[in-house]
Amino acid sequence: MFSYVFMKLLEGRPESYDRRVERVSGGHIRAIKEQIVDAIDPGTHVLEVGCGTGELATMIAARGATVLAFDASEKMVAEARDRMAREGLEEKVTVQSMAVTAMDRLDAASFDAVVATLVLSELTRDEERYALRHAVRVLRPGGRLLLADEVVPRTTGRRLAYQAVRLPVLAVTYLVSTSSTRPLENLPETLRHLGLEVLQEERSLGDAFALVVARKPQQDKEVEA
Amino acid sequence: MNPFKAVWGLLFRLFPCPIQTGVVRIGNPGPDSPVLVTCNFYTTVRRLIRTLKGVDAWLLVAESKGVNVWCAACGNEFNTRSVVSAIKTSGIEDKVTHRTVILPPLGAAGISAAEVKDQTGWHTRWGPVRAKDIPAYLAAHRKRTEPMKRATYTLGERLDTALGSMFPFYFFVALGFLVFAPHLLGYFVGTLVATFLVFIGLCPWIPGKHGWQKVLLLDALLGLALAATSVWPVPADIPVRTILVMAMVLFALHGGELGGLSSIWASDFDPFMARLGLRSIGNTRFAGTTRTDLLIGARVLTHYPEKCSSCAECINVCPIGVWDRNEHKKTFLAHREACTACCACLKQCTEDAIEALAA
Repeated sequence: MFSYVFMKLLEGRPESYDRRVERVSGGHIRAIKEQIVDAIDPGTHVLEVGCGTGELATMIAARGATVLAFDASEKMVAEARDRMAREGLEEKVTVQSMAVTAMDRLDAASFDAVVATLVLSELTRDEERYALRHAVRVLRPGGRLLLADEVVPRTTGRRLAYQAVRLPVLAVTYLVSTSSTRPLENLPETLRHLGLEVLQEERSLGDAFALVVARKPQQDKEVEA
Repeated sequence: MNPFKAVWGLLFRLFPCPIQTGVVRIGNPGPDSPVLVTCNFYTTVRRLIRTLKGVDAWLLVAESKGVNVWCAACGNEFNTRSVVSAIKTSGIEDKVTHRTVILPPLGAAGISAAEVKDQTGWHTRWGPVRAKDIPAYLAAHRKRTEPMKRATYTLGERLDTALGSMFPFYFFVALGFLVFAPHLLGYFVGTLVATFLVFIGLCPWIPGKHGWQKVLLLDALLGLALAATSVWPVPADIPVRTILVMAMVLFALHGGELGGLSSIWASDFDPFMARLGLRSIGNTRFAGTTRTDLLIGARVLTHYPEKCSSCAECINVCPIGVWDRNEHKKTFLAHREACTACCACLKQCTEDAIEALAA
């Protein structure tokens, strides 16, 4: 059982953010990112929502895909751009400073995959729905949505255990950073409701973390808003 | 109505009390009804709903991390992004046919009206400062009278914000007495109530520009009284000296950050921390922000008349009335000395005609 809410404490220092999250999560988030990268085909065009320091975008680019990565935090965007320059990936990864509420500016059906790790849980419920709606819109038919995030566990016992672990971390995080996160509920149902086929839902961290892979049907179904 | 949040939002206001963001229906609103933006602090939303009884409107609750409009805007938690997000993600676009939001002017330190327009296409208007003026403002075809534009700090507002912000301190000190010196608890509560009512009731008239100056004056008087107890006899059955010391400490508690409790006086705490050289505690920043720099005199609010288009946005958002227009309808900095450095004018100016210039 584990909660990523502490990451809000580390966001103030983008330069050491990945290393610290990695250390505290005991390698979990890195393994998740590798799983996501494995699902990306070389030569495709990928959108990363909330790219943070650009670690995942770098990994995807190394696999041979091109990435449009964006984040609402200017500090994170600066760090991500530095990283792309350092690693010579400026051609393959474009980093933009924008919030999910600007996703309506992205062209419809223009990406083969949309990825987001630990992003939706930072948004309000309305923003989450908005981001997902636009993620579906910008996917090409047959394109895939890959989401990894903290979720509400499915059984009462696990929910209680999760809260017992999360609440003290949440309290410290809040006191220091005046911010927190919100575990997602019913993610696969939400995605099905948006017209996607859910291919995979893999839970980890005592059922409190999910990697969800969904596909936009080839025949563009009526997408419910 | 959530009883826990009602008590929390009333007495533990130093901590956030969030409510879900999105659209709240007030009365029976239709596609032409006004859209009023507010923060997602539970108490603010409840009070608005209560105050707007009889009005048909859409209340657009935007993210402020569960903090009130003024504090969240000054701390940049209630900002352009919150309002843009609320407009674009709440579904309000499908509920109304017009495209105008009424913004709370105490949020102007965080929300740029021009950027909201730019990012959403929605027009913005600044509503009245106080919720209780909203029905009259709407009835007058969204015209604000002068008093509707300016913040006040009435007795009711003082009692509300002082108790709401300071209660945790009072509570924990009382708890300390209960555990370690229960025989003094009654005296503590009595002194607390008396000093609270005296200070919060009379603070606008107690000499001193800053809260701490008012506290020093009162504590000096109490110090004299304390000294007098060694000359004049005091009742043996009442711990007079203890009560006087309690009162001195309590005045410091009530008044130490008096400015920060209101929207008409500047914070004393932030510049104090900045002078100590403390940059931040968690996400709360002190030294190096434009606001604290203005308060400690490291920067000066500067107006460039040659760049100014006299659009009057600075006049519209300043809760104090620091800006005014001269006889030629030109905007000028009329009352710099009253500025609380909320930076709302800087946020709204699209002509770079206002700057916090390094001193």
